[in-house]
Amino acid sequence: MKTLMKNKRKAVKKDKAKKDVIAYRRSCSVEGTGLSHYILMDRKTR
Amino acid sequence: MALTQQICDNNGIIASRGNFVNTGTGPTLQPIDIGHPEYISLIDPDTAFWLLVKRNRLAEALTDKGLMKAYRKKAKEFADEMDNLRFFQRPSAVYFNPTERCNLNCSYCYIPEEMRRDGSHMTENSLLDALSRLKSYFSQTLPQGSVPQIVFHGAEPLLNRDAVFAGIDQFKNDFRFGVQTNSTLLDDKAVEFLISRDVSIGISLDAPTAAIADRTRKNWEGEGVYKKSIEAMERLKGYPNWSVICTITSENMRHLTKVVEFFHEKEAPTCLLNILRCTLQPSRKVRPDDAAAARHFLSALDRSYELYQETGRKLPVANFANILLAIIAPTARRLMCDISPCGGGRCFFALAPNGDLFPCSEFIGLPAFNGGNIFNNDIGDVLTSDAFKMVTGRKVEDVEPCKRCAIRHFCGSPCPAEAHEMNGGMDKIGGFCEFYEEQARYAFRLIADGKEEAYLWDGWDKDTKTTFNLKL
Repeated sequence: MKTLMKNKRKAVKKDKAKKDVIAYRRSCSVEGTGLSHYILMDRKTR
Repeated sequence: MALTQQICDNNGIIASRGNFVNTGTGPTLQPIDIGHPEYISLIDPDTAFWLLVKRNRLAEALTDKGLMKAYRKKAKEFADEMDNLRFFQRPSAVYFNPTERCNLNCSYCYIPEEMRRDGSHMTENSLLDALSRLKSYFSQTLPQGSVPQIVFHGAEPLLNRDAVFAGIDQFKNDFRFGVQTNSTLLDDKAVEFLISRDVSIGISLDAPTAAIADRTRKNWEGEGVYKKSIEAMERLKGYPNWSVICTITSENMRHLTKVVEFFHEKEAPTCLLNILRCTLQPSRKVRPDDAAAARHFLSALDRSYELYQETGRKLPVANFANILLAIIAPTARRLMCDISPCGGGRCFFALAPNGDLFPCSEFIGLPAFNGGNIFNNDIGDVLTSDAFKMVTGRKVEDVEPCKRCAIRHFCGSPCPAEAHEMNGGMDKIGGFCEFYEEQARYAFRLIADGKEEAYLWDGWDKDTKTTFNLKL
């Protein structure tokens, strides 16, 4: 059986179909300061 | 401090090549039923790494060398990321209580009643002195260009409005300011002042009707303040930096979908649907059932999604958005209650009107957690006091059953104040478990269906980068 990794090319062709495996992660500098009694998410400017 | 298991290198001794999942130094991946018809989740609890795998491909995924190799390459980086998030942050926010008093007597308040009824205001001079000391402290501890946050909090901060507004004006270049208020004193003049200075405003409202909202939020005469909250929401309409908190209790949990509809109709930019904190005895009278609260909460999330589809306008439920972020971008989380150790005493701390310092507002009224006084002690010493260490040292790895739970870094086993006061120790769980467990499962279902962006505020991923991406 071909491995899941080897099937990647084939999977790309059926991009809109549901994937067999989904995994992703994003990263940034830590800026969280929130206490759940208050919200200060990303400040928008008027 | 590296609490997380590293895959390969243990003081230069390699115990195994780590080729196999869940043995030797191989990756630990726990399979979790997320309640999705097609997908199951695999989670490495220590690194907060996850995969969603089609149910009929699970065995193949667990034995796929390429897949495991891809993760092993990143495992140490993710472990270090979690360690940095959990153990190497410095405070950059203060929850500043400018008065002990409140004009309301809400059923679940975590500030002791006698304090709210008969307490004192901080004088304007003391408030300005405290802000000056905080400015000096942060100038030594935060990187250049980083602006700390001051959130005037309560009790009801606007009872001491003149002092608060003087502080905002005098230190407008030194802090980002916010005010969390019960909204009863948010008259035209106050709103104009705060908006003109770009101050973030949080208000509280627990239901879309007076009949329900007034059960828990009322003044000392027992009269509800629903009408005042609605007036404030009308005044704030169009201002992007306001939000509304609904506290989930036994009294309102059945109405959470209506709450979301109401907040959306009022054009609230963001909301929090916070589960009640049971830190003090009086709040436990309106404690919601854990599983029922989770069920109603998820229905409300469903409704927020439908409203977005119908109108094109989002109403992010920020506490859920934070758990979603904990999964897809752990370091991008904003709220620090659902990480362990929690943010109390390490990302933020709370200042009482007499200058006493606590790890979090939740501890005000609990003398054992008083780490010192801003007018008498060095803030750095307070942060390392035994009182603060009780909170900053509480790790999910020391809590049963959290130490075995795969989602322990998406939930964080909140809240230490509640665990200590209600359940008898820092090594105990808080008041709610399924509420968080079900949110994590729901979040994974959204990811499986590609819907997660609908639950996050626009631009959340600004300044983030992709560190792993596998869609096979």
